[in-house]
Amino acid sequence: MNSSGYKIFKFVFLAFWASFVVAPFLWALTTSFKTINGVTSGATYIPWVDYEPSLDGWRNVLGTGSQGINVIEPFISSAYVTIGASALSLVLGTFVAYGLSRFKYRAGFIRNGDITFFFISQRIMPPVVLSIPFFLMLQQLGLLDSIFGLILVYIALLMPIAVWVMVDFFNNIPKEIDEMAMLDGCSPLQTFLRVILPNAKPGLVVAGLFCVIFGWNDFFFAFTLTFTETQLLPVAIVSLNSSATPWWSLSASALISIAPLIFVAVLVEKYLDRGNLAGAVK
Amino acid sequence: MSIVAENINLTVDGETYLRNVSFELPNEDFFIIVGRTKAGKTTLLRLLAGLEEIDSGSLTLDGDDLTKMPPWERKVGMVYQQFINYPHLNNFENIAFPLRRAGLPEDKIAEAVNKVAAVLGVEEFLEKLPSELSGGQQQRIALARALVKDSKLLILDEPLVNLDYKLREQLREEFKNIFNDQRERLVIYSTTEPAEAMELNGTVIVMHEGEIIQIGAAEEVYNRPANTRVAEVFNDPPMNLVRGVVEGNRIHLNQDVIMALPAHLQNLAAGRYTFGIRAADINLKPDAYAAEVQLGEINGSETILHIKLGDISLVTEQEGVHQYDLGASASVDFDLNQLYVFDNNGDLLFSPATNSSFEKAMQDQEKDN
Amino acid sequence: MASIDLKNIAHSYDPTAKDPIFALQPFNLHWEDGGTYALLGPSGCGKSTMLNIMSGLLTPSHGQLLVDNKDVTHLPTTQRNIAQVFQFPVIYKSKTIYENLAFPLRCIKMNKHDIDRRVKEVADLLNLTNILSKSANSVSADTKQLISVGRGLVRENVSAILMDEPLTVIDPQLKFELRRKLKEISARYGHTLIYVTHDQNEAMTLADQVVVMDKGQIMQMGSPEELFENPSHMHVGYFIGSPAMNFMNCRLSDQGIHIDDHFVPMELEGIADSAALNMGVRPEYVSFSDTPVANSVPAEIVEVQNLGKYAIATAKFGNQRVKARLSGKSKLPSGATNLVLHKEHMRLYVDGHLYSAS
Repeated sequence: MNSSGYKIFKFVFLAFWASFVVAPFLWALTTSFKTINGVTSGATYIPWVDYEPSLDGWRNVLGTGSQGINVIEPFISSAYVTIGASALSLVLGTFVAYGLSRFKYRAGFIRNGDITFFFISQRIMPPVVLSIPFFLMLQQLGLLDSIFGLILVYIALLMPIAVWVMVDFFNNIPKEIDEMAMLDGCSPLQTFLRVILPNAKPGLVVAGLFCVIFGWNDFFFAFTLTFTETQLLPVAIVSLNSSATPWWSLSASALISIAPLIFVAVLVEKYLDRGNLAGAVK
Repeated sequence: MSIVAENINLTVDGETYLRNVSFELPNEDFFIIVGRTKAGKTTLLRLLAGLEEIDSGSLTLDGDDLTKMPPWERKVGMVYQQFINYPHLNNFENIAFPLRRAGLPEDKIAEAVNKVAAVLGVEEFLEKLPSELSGGQQQRIALARALVKDSKLLILDEPLVNLDYKLREQLREEFKNIFNDQRERLVIYSTTEPAEAMELNGTVIVMHEGEIIQIGAAEEVYNRPANTRVAEVFNDPPMNLVRGVVEGNRIHLNQDVIMALPAHLQNLAAGRYTFGIRAADINLKPDAYAAEVQLGEINGSETILHIKLGDISLVTEQEGVHQYDLGASASVDFDLNQLYVFDNNGDLLFSPATNSSFEKAMQDQEKDN
Repeated sequence: MASIDLKNIAHSYDPTAKDPIFALQPFNLHWEDGGTYALLGPSGCGKSTMLNIMSGLLTPSHGQLLVDNKDVTHLPTTQRNIAQVFQFPVIYKSKTIYENLAFPLRCIKMNKHDIDRRVKEVADLLNLTNILSKSANSVSADTKQLISVGRGLVRENVSAILMDEPLTVIDPQLKFELRRKLKEISARYGHTLIYVTHDQNEAMTLADQVVVMDKGQIMQMGSPEELFENPSHMHVGYFIGSPAMNFMNCRLSDQGIHIDDHFVPMELEGIADSAALNMGVRPEYVSFSDTPVANSVPAEIVEVQNLGKYAIATAKFGNQRVKARLSGKSKLPSGATNLVLHKEHMRLYVDGHLYSAS
């Protein structure tokens, strides 16, 4: 299988795929340095050669430009909501997953599998179905249009992901390791904290990454459950889109919105290495 | 300290794991549970460790109910069949884990870990992770962790079963010395191999289908198996058991195999019995009973022959490595002085007068001294 | 049914490297049609690599694999007609035993009548006839493994059967039965059978010829008796037999060998002065005598262990420790005694290899 033909094919295919993935980023990047002239004068790519670069787009979205469209505040709100909801989902989801992995529950016809399905089923329904109940509930609680309200809603969305990833991960850690820890003097909670969690680190990273990605990128609930007080980044970016869209500002804010995810991905890259996942527990 | 179990029963999903199990384990002794797979060995050990609950019966430690005591309060060291270590800790920390839990000072921990690591020959691996070691080395780390702590009870559940046989041979020899130094605690070891029990030389508990069928010193169980089940489980290959009839001074195994009653069975009344004889006590000898070889197996340095004398299937054992074709003919003789007799319920009636030539040799030796 | 030749086979997982590391050192082997062979060695010795080469999961970096003189080195697994039985029983749990056995035949679209005939033949051989209609999941582990074996046997054009540690998950007591079955099968059907195992008992019992492997090298191929009586390498002496062969380091002198102060006259030639010499003797061939006799050396008993049917006595003389295996009928030694080393059972090893006068 290592013939040179195969190698060439592999290279061409990967190069094609990479350009497919990277092109939109480059496009957004050049656009963010353009002015209205650069955008309307046909396809231009290279600054200083094709067009005259300008920082207007960036100045605008950072609130220092003439148009004063600020994405800093939505960025911070989004960060609060995403970090808060992801952290809580991860903590709660990990506990739930450990329970589901290690203990047998029964209530009527309900068993562990049914409970796991219940969590995952939250993600099966289209978001629209959930939006009205969520809206009414937040309204009752007086939490509409607030960061805290959004965090609660996002926990409902993110925790199933955490549970799903972590149950699988815990199931791969032999039960005998728990037993060994108990025999070595750990209470069940100590066993969980001192032995199981350290071994589940790669799983926590994966689950956390999923939570952060889904939370950060959500538009639907951020849009339906907020009005004036609170605005999250995806909503802020979309609201830039009007009859006279400032494409340079839109591109700049899109890049700002992608940046944290790239940063997080680079940060946890070593944990996503498959070897690392497999080697943790054997 | 003594652990007393009375009429313990355990059934899970209709499958019986333990049935009317009763025993008394005194402090500071070495017990070896011998039984085939699924005999209930693991269940019993897990019960003692607090990892299993019982349906009925009682388990007490010095009179206190042990079933209410969670595992982390029991001070039990345990080594599993599988190589179980903490994957995220290096081997030093793995061994040190129970000591840290017990809150020992750092210098005491280092001292204890290094000491036990030296005994088990794992000093050079202490900085590595368990996953970087071979199976045998991983099991040594697990044993070191079980030995290092101040436990009253040390449980080893078939610790060698997943190792290559040469490694098993080597570790068995080391274990024997280590456990003989563990006189301040109760050590319980389980195995499927009677030879392992004989070599480790402790008190044997023979289990079969969830029941304890005999408790006694290894040699005692070997020489006087309480019933046919023990005779099978505690001999490898299992003891030959043949139904026969005693008439006058003769044993009829079938119409062709008729033998005179040996001296130690002179009091045997006429009737039907089950006769037992070890594979090693059936010898190849010219001009004796004609047999057909069903299969020759090699076991370590012995050759085990499965033979048929007419309708009787028997197993014999010979020293050395020899090859036989299927269907080859052989001539065998019984060492009748080594004949066991069981009644129709399978309980032992008579065992050889001088139970094995060994015991006799040992006795002679003692006399000589 | 077929003979198998492994010609100059060697394997490196990275053959283009400057100094390739060989998982399998170059070797030649010839296996007869209808023979039973075992590849024996500890994990990591290269036996799995060899198995994968034969089954077609791996193409060797060097050499050829011939089945009936036909080069199959580059043929995929499915075209080799080599059946394989794995360590863990592979069965279709939801199907009956009959359907499990019939499955490979259904895959090659054999007609119903022939399928029925073959399944019944194989079932008869394996004593599965009475339980053919049972669910394959409801039977014990050894029966499951027997079904796996049956599936390997059921195809008529199978040229060889590879068995990878087939008895690992089987209870020791049940192994007895299964071994007998496997032996019977090989005798009756005449398939070329190849066992891969780390268990010497299994290898020696099941195979006519055992290939002892270590660290990617073939140490010796021979009948169980040859391996036991004349190990060609110290490793084989250690690995075969329980307890292992005794090895005593010794030195060359005029007309013989000195083991500490004990002199063994031997005619030797061509041994370099720098060579490491070891005298090997099986514990079975060591005995004791109260009084000095020919070939005896004064020794002291360090330990005697009674294992029921036999005893192991460890004796010490000079810097040597020698184990003896004593049958139940002999008198057990103690204290100061004389160790008898029978010359015809002594084997000299020069740098690990058996010395033989050329």
